[in-house]
Amino acid sequence: MEYPAELRYSAEHEWARRDGDDVIVGITDFAQDALGDIVYVQLPDEGLEVIAGAAIGEVESTKSVSEIYAPLTGQIVAVNPDLIQTPELVNTEPYGGGWMVRVRLVDPADFDALLDAAAYQALAEG
Amino acid sequence: VTTGLTTWLLRDDLAVARTGAQEMAEDLALLDAVRDDGRARLRIYRFHAPTLTLGRFQADDEVDTEACTRYGVEVVRRPTGGRALLHGAEVTYSVAMPKPPGADGAVDALYCAIAQSLIAGLAQLGIDAAVAAQPVAPAGAVCFTGVQGADLRVAGRKVCGSAQVQRGAFAMQHGSVLLDRLPFDEVDLLHFASDEDRDRTRAKLRASTVTLAELGVAADARAVADALIEGFGAA
Repeated sequence: MEYPAELRYSAEHEWARRDGDDVIVGITDFAQDALGDIVYVQLPDEGLEVIAGAAIGEVESTKSVSEIYAPLTGQIVAVNPDLIQTPELVNTEPYGGGWMVRVRLVDPADFDALLDAAAYQALAEG
Repeated sequence: VTTGLTTWLLRDDLAVARTGAQEMAEDLALLDAVRDDGRARLRIYRFHAPTLTLGRFQADDEVDTEACTRYGVEVVRRPTGGRALLHGAEVTYSVAMPKPPGADGAVDALYCAIAQSLIAGLAQLGIDAAVAAQPVAPAGAVCFTGVQGADLRVAGRKVCGSAQVQRGAFAMQHGSVLLDRLPFDEVDLLHFASDEDRDRTRAKLRASTVTLAELGVAADARAVADALIEGFGAA
C-alpha cells in the first residue's frame, strides 16, 4: 500500500496534494483497495463552496457506496472529467489519474493541519 | 440482541406496510439514528407489494416503466449500489452501525461479520448457507445474477444478497432472503436488446439463485424474520 510522503491525508481516507493555493484531492490507495472495483464516481459541480468534512460526492464500488468528503474548506474549481467514463482510474492510479477535485483553499495554511503519511498509515492500518 | 460484532437495537417492522420508497427512507433513517446516538440497529421488514429497487447510480432508462405499471410494480432507488432487484416474496434485513476502528471497519470485514449472523439465522431454519468465496464476474443488469463476497449461497446459489453504504464512520447494510418467486422476474421489468437476451438472463438468474421454497423450507415470513433476529442475537 502506498502513502506518498509529499501528500497530506484526512481520517476519512482522502489525500490532498498542494498546488499553490489549491489542493488536488482524491481517495487513498488504502481506500480504493478496501472498496474494491470502482464502477461509478459522482462528483460535485465546479464552483461549489465546501467546508472541511462536508460530503462532496459518492463512489460506488462492487461492494459499497461510500461518500467522499472535502478534506479542507474552499471552493471546487475543477473536477476530474475522466472519471465519468473511466472510474477505474481511482483503482489503478489513486494518486494520479484517479484524482477527483481541485479545491481553492480559503486558508492555504489549513493544508498543514492534515495528517502526514505516517499518521495516516497508522490510522488506516489500525 | 447481541452478536460478536455489537449489540443491536431491534426494530421489527415485518407487519408494518409501507411503500418501497418509504422502506428505503427508513433504512437511511436507521443510519441517521445511529449517527445521532451511536447505537447499532437491526431492522426487519418486507416489501408488502412487488417493488423493483434500482442501485444508487443505475440508469433509469434500463427500466421498462410500462411493464412495471402492467405488473403493478413500484420502482424505487436504493441508497446502496448494484443493479435492479425485484422484491416481494422475501424477508429483508437492514443494519446500521458505527464502523469498528481500523481493519475491522473495512467493507469486507463488515460483510463478513454480518454474514456470520445471517448464516446463524438461516441455520435456525435448517439451511446451510455460506459466503461466496470470490467475485467471479461483473453483475449484469439484474442484481441477483452478480456474484459477490457479501452474498450467502446454498450449494453455490444465492439465497441472500446484500449491499452496503458507508458514510464516514457509519455503515448501513441491507439484504433480502428469498422465500419464493413472484410470477414474474426482474427481467420482465427491464429493457433488453432482444427476447433471446431476456431469456438468457432469466435462465442465469434462476440458475444462480435459490429460494427457501425451492430448498424445501416451508417457513413463512414471520418464522424467517424470527430466525434472522435469533441469528443476530446468538451468532
